[in-house]
Amino acid sequence: MARIIDFGSLAVAYATRLLAESGHDVIRIDLSGGDALRRMGPFLGDNPHLEHGAYHQFLNAGKRSLSLNVESPAGRRIFTELLQKSDALVASRPLPLAEEELRNIRPQLVFTKVEEEEAELCAYARSGLLSLTGQPDGQPTVLGSHMIYLATGIYVAVGTSAALYVLNQTGQGQTVCVSMKDCLETFIEQAMVEYAFSGTKTERRGSRGTITAISGALPCKDGHWVISQINRPGRWEKFMDWVQDPELMADPSLALDENQNKKKDFIMDRIFVWARKFTKTDLVEEAQRRHFPASPVSSPLDLVEDPQLIARGFLKEMNHPKFGRILFPQGAIASVRGNSLSPAPTLGQHNREILAELGYSEPDHRTLTEIGAI
Amino acid sequence: MNPTPPLNGIKVLDFTHVLAGPFCTRLLADFGADVVRVESTRHPDYPWPSSYIHADGRHASYLNTNRSKRSVAIDLKHEAGRAIALRLATAADLVVENFSAGVMSRLGLGYETLKALNPRLIYVGMSGYGNTGPRRDWTSMNMNLQGYGGLMLTTGAEKDPPIAISNSWNDYIGGLHACFGIIEALAQRETTGSGAHLDLSQFECSVSLIAPLVLSSAVNKSSPKRLGNRSARYAPQGVYRCDGRDEWCAISIQNDEQWRALTAAMGNPELGSEARFANVCERMRHHDEIDRRIEAWTSQLPNTEVEKRLRSAGIPAERMRRIQDIVDAPDRSKAFARAEEPRVGSMLTTTLPLSLSFSPSAPFRPAPKLGEHTQEVLKDWLGIPDSELVELNERGALV
Repeated sequence: MARIIDFGSLAVAYATRLLAESGHDVIRIDLSGGDALRRMGPFLGDNPHLEHGAYHQFLNAGKRSLSLNVESPAGRRIFTELLQKSDALVASRPLPLAEEELRNIRPQLVFTKVEEEEAELCAYARSGLLSLTGQPDGQPTVLGSHMIYLATGIYVAVGTSAALYVLNQTGQGQTVCVSMKDCLETFIEQAMVEYAFSGTKTERRGSRGTITAISGALPCKDGHWVISQINRPGRWEKFMDWVQDPELMADPSLALDENQNKKKDFIMDRIFVWARKFTKTDLVEEAQRRHFPASPVSSPLDLVEDPQLIARGFLKEMNHPKFGRILFPQGAIASVRGNSLSPAPTLGQHNREILAELGYSEPDHRTLTEIGAI
Repeated sequence: MNPTPPLNGIKVLDFTHVLAGPFCTRLLADFGADVVRVESTRHPDYPWPSSYIHADGRHASYLNTNRSKRSVAIDLKHEAGRAIALRLATAADLVVENFSAGVMSRLGLGYETLKALNPRLIYVGMSGYGNTGPRRDWTSMNMNLQGYGGLMLTTGAEKDPPIAISNSWNDYIGGLHACFGIIEALAQRETTGSGAHLDLSQFECSVSLIAPLVLSSAVNKSSPKRLGNRSARYAPQGVYRCDGRDEWCAISIQNDEQWRALTAAMGNPELGSEARFANVCERMRHHDEIDRRIEAWTSQLPNTEVEKRLRSAGIPAERMRRIQDIVDAPDRSKAFARAEEPRVGSMLTTTLPLSLSFSPSAPFRPAPKLGEHTQEVLKDWLGIPDSELVELNERGALV
């Protein structure tokens, strides 16, 4: 288990959360007064308070909080002492000391330096991803839930983990550089390959798929469902056994890939007409019984009650000091490792504990609080 | 000490197919792991159907996703083939698979079997929903997870239909999470001496990226509002139509000073001093009206011009790039690089978009032909002599 300092915004916060999910001791250095992450809505209980932000509560779970005024001399000293006892520093905020000083203080440090983009929408437009998202005839749209920061954060976690592995094997520390711009561009890979090899220009398709002909979300009686399948020999006939659409069945040539692709909008429109009288559950259960990849389209609220997330312990009941008994998303790595995270810390919740670990006494703690260092 | 890639010497036995798994093992290969794909002529695999297919059957998608790996061709349904797979798994550090739940067990290659042979083995399953729970047998594709995992209903504005992204986003998200879990498990093995079973669910990886909103829904008993291109902190913010067919520019005004600069750039400086647009709260209240005014201006100009004028005024603005703009750009991003690929001379391929100051990443190697390295790997990993290879071939175990 490594000790890791979290000194960053959204992408870094998700990277260090993944490290916490994996069992590491993560200390988030909170700015005195609380940072932007704690001020991001939505807010739990609709209360716009530093301890109620949903992003704070999810991303900082499993971490300890040290609220530090890194600008003050005493704050800098504590930062330095903490660094001496840490394995990794993951940062996207300006550091209180120069980069070379980090190595002097702690030669074996894994220092992950992350360039996070401040203007999310602009970063998304520049990456090429915006051209792949939204209604074909309407405004292109950024992915919701600020997820492009979290996606970048996984790369940050991967790079940090690789460097920690090297540290563990060889005792060698190093600097890991990650830029959100480069990370986002890797996600256009699929479109890049098709364009580079044959000039195909991938465009946005609303809620329909771009890879295979029968793929996308369609409205049904109580919401939307998704059907998405690869065409294999015999699949079309089996699909028609189920759908029984006379117009589709009138054209047996649709069993062929290339014909499906030519008429993909027509096929999806016919499936829509057939499916709209059924519920999500009816459609998805019957499709799965017949081995067609289908699923419901879920809202965040739908997911709270999802039997699969609950059965596997991804959603686990937590007795939260502020919100009582709630179903808490543990995260994909915690779920695999069977770990449960502690609730996100209140601002400076672990000041006393961490200072004690650094050798400060109780009177020291009082003095540091009085002079505003913590 | 000569620096080597972080995962130098780690042996990966790769049973994955399509995209999420092969993407994950390509990341491991870039980190220096020796990735050996177990393939078969009976089930030629490709990450997605490409518009370019080489004469040897390899799709462009395969060349990019499975470069830097080796290929062994084994018939897993043949008794001798299965025996070879078991021996390879005994020599491996890592087995990665993304079959549906239960397939590896039916092939006699389930975790318990392999663990008994190799207690240090890290065994990674990356099925759609995980190998436990009521949905364990559901099959899924990327689009299913975009819908079920919440991406489609958190993207777009209130009253919009579900909105997808036209790429296999979830395969990348699942593959990246798996790669992280794997490197962590390798590190933990150094301490514990024993392997691990990672039963990853790609569904859970997708849900993790919107988990703050799931948490908010669990406490508030309602889904948060869909914001589309707007922000809860800044206004105005949006993607605005520019002159030309389907041309757009993203603009994000992050403070009052930028708002005044925008109105000046638009030639309407009087808007900048209007009280009802004076601060972010007021601008949020009048967002629709502001959007109409901005678009009346942007729609007269090419998006390159909108971007240029706004950026020179210190305003965050970026025109919507298309794929060709990124790929053909002279200052092309670090996300892609040229790699040798004898089938086509060279190809553009995705890089690992991060750098480690001490540990290099592994050099690119071309994607393998099916079974290209069967003999080489059987010798390297298992020390099988030529005579036995001939015999295995004759018995039809290697296909």
